[in-house]
Amino acid sequence: MRYVWRLVGSRLALGVLTILFASFAIFWLVELLPGNAATAILGRGATAHQIATLSAQLHLGESPVHRYLTWLIAFLQGNWGVSIAAQRPVRQYVLPALRHSLLLAGTALVIYVPLSLGLGMLMAVLRQRRSIRFLSAFVVLTSAIPEFVFGIFFLIVFTVELPWFPPLANLQSGMSFGQYVHTLALPALTLAIVMSSYAARMMQANLVAVLDSEYVRMAVLKGLPRWRVVLRHAVPNALGPAMRVTVLNIAWVVGSIVLVENIFNYPGIGTLMVQSISLHDFPVVEAITLIMAVTYILANLAADVLAAVFDPRLRK
Amino acid sequence: MASLVIAAPLGGLHRGWARVRSTSGQVRFGAGILAIYALLAVIGPWVTPYNPTTQLVANPYEGPSWSHPFGTDNFGRDVFSRVLAGERLMVVECVLAAAIATVAGLLLGIVAAYVGRTFDTLLMRCVELILSFPSLILSMLILAAIGDNSLVVILVVAGLFVAPITLVIRGAAQAVVNEDYVTAARLRGENRFSIAVREILPNVLPTVYVEFSLHAGFAAILISGLSFLGFGPAPPSPNWGLMIQEGSAFVSAAPWSVLGPALGLAGLVVGLSIFTEGIGKQVGEGTLFEARI
Repeated sequence: MRYVWRLVGSRLALGVLTILFASFAIFWLVELLPGNAATAILGRGATAHQIATLSAQLHLGESPVHRYLTWLIAFLQGNWGVSIAAQRPVRQYVLPALRHSLLLAGTALVIYVPLSLGLGMLMAVLRQRRSIRFLSAFVVLTSAIPEFVFGIFFLIVFTVELPWFPPLANLQSGMSFGQYVHTLALPALTLAIVMSSYAARMMQANLVAVLDSEYVRMAVLKGLPRWRVVLRHAVPNALGPAMRVTVLNIAWVVGSIVLVENIFNYPGIGTLMVQSISLHDFPVVEAITLIMAVTYILANLAADVLAAVFDPRLRK
Repeated sequence: MASLVIAAPLGGLHRGWARVRSTSGQVRFGAGILAIYALLAVIGPWVTPYNPTTQLVANPYEGPSWSHPFGTDNFGRDVFSRVLAGERLMVVECVLAAAIATVAGLLLGIVAAYVGRTFDTLLMRCVELILSFPSLILSMLILAAIGDNSLVVILVVAGLFVAPITLVIRGAAQAVVNEDYVTAARLRGENRFSIAVREILPNVLPTVYVEFSLHAGFAAILISGLSFLGFGPAPPSPNWGLMIQEGSAFVSAAPWSVLGPALGLAGLVVGLSIFTEGIGKQVGEGTLFEARI
């Protein structure tokens, strides 16, 4: 276990460094967004006095490094600034959207885990059957199709041709559980399918390797029932890589959720981010991108640690 | 890493034909799909029935028919013609982006593996930094900051893909640099450039092919995803991502205007994934293609 803790420590240190760098890169990129921020906010009709006042308010006169440090320290203290477009504190604006996105990602994960594990086991254990081979080919095809193409197909089939689901995934407070499920179904299913197809293929590949190993043959020759061989001897050894893929999938969701939310007009941080970029709402863009970068980096870090926990050969 | 089975010299024609015959059915199937896309990209302008941006205001939202195989959109433009024009754009964009990224990654990867030391360490830190961002988010930010015409999109996507390609090619080259034949070449007194080009390069080429084809697929997904979100050429460009975005606003009136570009994109990526995984298997790399960026 000591190796693992040392690995966690060193990766965490590297992760914090990466996050710091990421925050600087984000700040720098957002500062580069076209147009002086003050002019962009006030519009072309603004007087010079108005622009000067707002510039002072945004600390536009100070050096970029100074502004970066001020912003970062304020961000860490929970002061995320004021949204330019909405004239409201960024936190009030971003946190509800973040909650919606977490709800969507969580729902997708709930669909994903049984779907990928089940498919992977089915495709490995019964791989000789013709129907399962068709299923495998279908999963290969699925894993190659981008998430927003899937989203569009779902949109056309299940909201236009068969109007079973609402085309706009609009969440309202006070919705019942059933209404939540109804609204979240299509976007969550889109995310879950994209995640599952790859994970199921990894699970299948690993499980096939384990099923062909000597100790599984040994277990079979001892006369154990087949389900027991698969569940007790084979699956636990294929789970390590599957866990790792799951954590990496969480990292990938950070990118794909932006596309999926925009397809279904879901009120999460992905939609908010695209809107804020077009409105030049810098504080909101900075906050959202930093949240996304931190999630992505932490998920990747967790994947590395999990890999070391499950595969002692990686502990050097 | 890779067991480098196929040393791929630039052999004669008969040798090339032998290589084609030795490919697996999977590679040929994938190559067949890609050939159709390449052919359409070349002959596109001659078979396009209408001008892709001409608005036939008399008949918007028309369903598929013999004169308009994919129907017409909200402006009465022929969707089939727009899909064909967009196909040409897409093929050029993803091949260009993948080519630029692969050439840069090949150079950096070989130099990193061969020179090593400080250059290698520094380069790897940069690669890790780029890889610690989701590429869609990073490219959105960059494009928002520096503007987003087609050329900029290609360059940004290529720039992001240099990082993972460098990483893989460096790994493949590192497996080769300590081989006896490289040592022999050094002892023969050959200079570093000729060792890099004549001993190392041919042995990492299989990896290069796989990476190129893999990242052409990623580029197709990323570029159309970006233009779907509004980062890319402005309307009336027949860019597939943009067409999907515009079409999704009136999807209940004219679902076919979205279906055309979506199916086109899915077909291209599926073809690239089958081809990539096929050649990956043949050079001994179990590359799994996943449509995520």
